Amino acid sequence: MTMPRSRIYVLLMSAATAALLFSFLIYLQYTANLLSFPYDYDQGEGFELHDTVLYSRFQLPYRDTESYPFYGSIYPPLFHVMAAPFVWLFGPAYWYGRLLGFLASLVSAGAIYFAVFRQGRGNRWIALLSALAFLSSNFVYHIGPLYRQHTMMVTFETLAVVMLAGAFPRRDKRGTAAGLLLLICAGYTKQLAAFSAIAAFTWMFLRQPARALRCLLVFALAGAAIFLWLNIASDGQWWLQTIVANVNDTIPEQAVGLFILWFKLHGLLLIPAAALLVYELYLDRLSIYSVWFVFSTVLGAIAASKWGAGDSYFVTSIAAACILSGIFFSRALAKDWRLPRRFPKAILTHASRAALIVIPLLYLGYARATLKLPTAGAFEPIAAALGVEGNVRDDFYDSASFLVGGYARIGYLLTAEDRAAGDEIVRLIRATEGPALSEEAGFALAAQRDVVTNPAQLRNLHLAGRFDGVQLVGMIERGEFGIVVLRAQFYPPPVLAAIARSYEQTQSIHMNGFDYIILHPRALDDS
Amino acid sequence: MMLTKLGAMNGQDSGITKRQLGVFMALAGSIGFVAVLAIDIVDVGRQGGIGPAQLTALGLLAAGAVIGLTLIPLGDAPA
Repeated sequence: MTMPRSRIYVLLMSAATAALLFSFLIYLQYTANLLSFPYDYDQGEGFELHDTVLYSRFQLPYRDTESYPFYGSIYPPLFHVMAAPFVWLFGPAYWYGRLLGFLASLVSAGAIYFAVFRQGRGNRWIALLSALAFLSSNFVYHIGPLYRQHTMMVTFETLAVVMLAGAFPRRDKRGTAAGLLLLICAGYTKQLAAFSAIAAFTWMFLRQPARALRCLLVFALAGAAIFLWLNIASDGQWWLQTIVANVNDTIPEQAVGLFILWFKLHGLLLIPAAALLVYELYLDRLSIYSVWFVFSTVLGAIAASKWGAGDSYFVTSIAAACILSGIFFSRALAKDWRLPRRFPKAILTHASRAALIVIPLLYLGYARATLKLPTAGAFEPIAAALGVEGNVRDDFYDSASFLVGGYARIGYLLTAEDRAAGDEIVRLIRATEGPALSEEAGFALAAQRDVVTNPAQLRNLHLAGRFDGVQLVGMIERGEFGIVVLRAQFYPPPVLAAIARSYEQTQSIHMNGFDYIILHPRALDDS
Repeated sequence: MMLTKLGAMNGQDSGITKRQLGVFMALAGSIGFVAVLAIDIVDVGRQGGIGPAQLTALGLLAAGAVIGLTLIPLGDAPA
């Protein structure tokens, strides 16, 4: 296929590529910064590391939270199982989980490139910009290099959808089986992948209904077999910890806020993506990418209202939007549309010429909309030229920051002071006798103490009426924990009340933008 | 009749048509819309009328029904 070329097109496309590569450079810097930080950056990372440590010992993290160490995990196993060999080699550490997340985001970008290249009539440049656009998204940037399973789930989802897009219509049995296996991998990385599975089977049903139902049967049997095995192996705790505890209270304003933020940041690609969806719906056949885009957006937005949800719930829809917009742009440039005979061809020609200017401008605008960068040091002149000032910390700008509730307060770079603060908390833990009750697992792991409790999980179970906490409250009231480290205070109210009764604040340590409250047992005459 | 046609289509490997998809979306959207409204009628003890979640569901179901209706005239073209 001959691709259109003109001097202005090449110039603008080069500028868009440079802008998105600059965004990628910031992503690399952020990743390198996080890899060297040995404590929690995003709350919950430490518990995912602890899950990995348990898997490395061939133990399941789905445990009875009523007895010491009161720990249970809400997440499926696959990401932590993938990271477990690193524990054998390097011991508990954050860097390899973060590296896996970062590499997974690159694999997603590669899959997006391939999908756009294949469906977009071989337009490599648009395919490259689509992949870079995914990595430039603030939401991808925030969560990519974290020790969280979400990015890996998105990668499995993206690979599954791209695989099925090619294999299923061709009746390629191996390819289809590989796509379904990737979907199962996504589901056993994080529960949210259920939305992609619904999308994939809806599209398969639209294409070949009877075959889709046969595939669904095999898929359901394989998924259910793993589910049953986990439930039996954990003595029923798998069901309690990952399903029952996952039903949470909803905050509609949070979903609305995140939806608005999602659109503000990615609108320049979402509109072309929606345009291709409408075109396919009325003038062509629906592609798996369109169906995936609809389901991941609508269901992702609904799920984003759940307590504990965040901007990451939209990352799957961003992957779909990057693919759809890339295909739309490629087809617009190639005038590759199936239109009614009476449609004037002159309009198509004019639209294609306009696309030479409009498409790179849209990518440039997108790069500006998703801008984030340090505003000090070597980046100061660039920040000044772009007219942005630090809005996350004094020395970091993020176009997504702090606009809505539920937004993950992450993205900035950590400093030597943050690390020193973490070291001090670890020193305090080591200086005490007995177990430590820390709201983040990383400190306990670094101090080589037991990881005791998972506060958000206990909160969820408490709300579901499935956490009594008598033993934990008893240990707190008897002052059996040498130290308590609180941050977000996610513990259930009875646990927080027991801490308030039996412990007193001795220090507050500022790390990573948050105040960590250090408490020690009250003296007997105080109690 | 639809099931028979569906089976026949599978033999031809032609999939669901835009008309079939349209009929399904129109029916599902309409029935769902009425069902969501009925929550307030059946559950008379509820306070506060239609909440934000219900409003969202109503909007999505109505949109689905309308889109479905627009697909019906497109006939046997594959969805």
